Amino acid sequence: MSGGIAITGVGAVSAVGGNVPALTAALLEGRCGIAPLTLFPYQGRSALAAQVPEGVTVPGTLPAVTARRLSRPDRFALAAASEACRDAGLDGALRHDAALALGATTGGMFESEEAYRQRQTGEAGCFRLSRLLGTSITTAASVVSQTLGIYGPQTTVSTACSSSALAIALAADAIRRGRARVAVALGTDGLCRLTYAGFDALQALDPEACRPFDAGRRGLSLGEGAGALVLEDVAHARARGVRPRALLLGHATGTDAHHVTAPHPEGVGALVAFRGALAAAGLPPEAIDYVNAHGSGTRQNDAVEVAVLRAVLGSRLARVPVSSTKSQLGHTLGAAGALEAVVTVLALDAGILPPTVGLRRPDPSFGELDLVPTPGRRLPLAVAASSSYGFGGHNVTLVLGRGEVP
Amino acid sequence: MDRDTLRSEVKELMVSGLRLSIAPTEIADDTSIFGDNAGGGGLGLDSIDALELVVLVEERYHVSIPDEEVGKRAFASVSALIDFILHERGAA
Repeated sequence: MSGGIAITGVGAVSAVGGNVPALTAALLEGRCGIAPLTLFPYQGRSALAAQVPEGVTVPGTLPAVTARRLSRPDRFALAAASEACRDAGLDGALRHDAALALGATTGGMFESEEAYRQRQTGEAGCFRLSRLLGTSITTAASVVSQTLGIYGPQTTVSTACSSSALAIALAADAIRRGRARVAVALGTDGLCRLTYAGFDALQALDPEACRPFDAGRRGLSLGEGAGALVLEDVAHARARGVRPRALLLGHATGTDAHHVTAPHPEGVGALVAFRGALAAAGLPPEAIDYVNAHGSGTRQNDAVEVAVLRAVLGSRLARVPVSSTKSQLGHTLGAAGALEAVVTVLALDAGILPPTVGLRRPDPSFGELDLVPTPGRRLPLAVAASSSYGFGGHNVTLVLGRGEVP
Repeated sequence: MDRDTLRSEVKELMVSGLRLSIAPTEIADDTSIFGDNAGGGGLGLDSIDALELVVLVEERYHVSIPDEEVGKRAFASVSALIDFILHERGAA
């Protein structure tokens, strides 16, 4: 993939705010968005979540009739996609033929749960159609394409926690194969009882805010939000005079086919993805300046992930900063791949090393790693990798480069 | 139930049930609920709202709106809806 694909716009909705400037500020301050869960009552191992604050607005162009029925993740997706398109300067004509690839895992599950609760408690006498419309994970792409007028090839994928990293890969492939010159890739997910109780039942939730790579880590903190990126043929971006914020240099996927929730002990699929992404970028491992880790904070993930990084980077790993953005934004599941790609773009574009917040005592078995403790650092970066590992063994690695057009 | 009480109740039901971003008092009695109004003052409702409002009205007032023909008549305006509810309940 010589020259890569230009990333000309980014958008983000997360627990630290409803746009990219809020996210950038939080990355620089090392602010953590994990706080008491208030969206629904829950009694269990954890009472925390990285919940998106109220009042994330949807664009004024949206007819009120549509806006009032959007599920939370559809609202997040629309806000992030709109921001990314604005950032990239995509007008209606450029959006018209753009491809759209979206990753998500639970769609409007929270709204569906509320409909069932209201029915069960007698608060509602019957099921209301409008409350169940957003149940499908495909509604987010519909809302984004209808509102922003995106009519090119469209797909929605769901590969657990790597869903939107895969969406980015598919968007890049659509451009590379000449199906589109411009693509919008995004991921979105909202907190809901289903995932919260599910991860709790797996004993995968840390009772405290998650501490990726920490000796005392006990699991993840769930989050929600959306990340969006505008991908563009490099020549197309150059012709319209737009400076890429970053380049997607290569990507690859690899599947463990090992276990429904546990990662493969040697991370075979993750290794395939990481090495494949480097090969696709035509870069040696030594080119990597920073790794935005999957870093979920579970004992298994972080151990396997470090083993994979050791296998790929060898002794050089000690000189490659590795951090987990999930320490600030929580694990946003279907949105994580895209949100972390946005963070990696910001890191390359602004020379920021985002911190691993909450790290108190790094796991001694990761002794040689530079885990970028709070508050992070400033460092010019040329090439960075972002990995996303999903339950069921769905692994994706993206290799990104700073945005000069080669 | 007197007509005035019913009128404000129906408007309140529309705003809260359909999650409209207007005050109940902003809905005029003669506003066409689903159609276009003179001067473009419609409520901007769609076919999903129509299904929802049928369910809401049936549930609250124990009336039956069995088909589109009855629905069109009942939802011609707020006044028409009140007439419909009062008539159906009176007949019951």
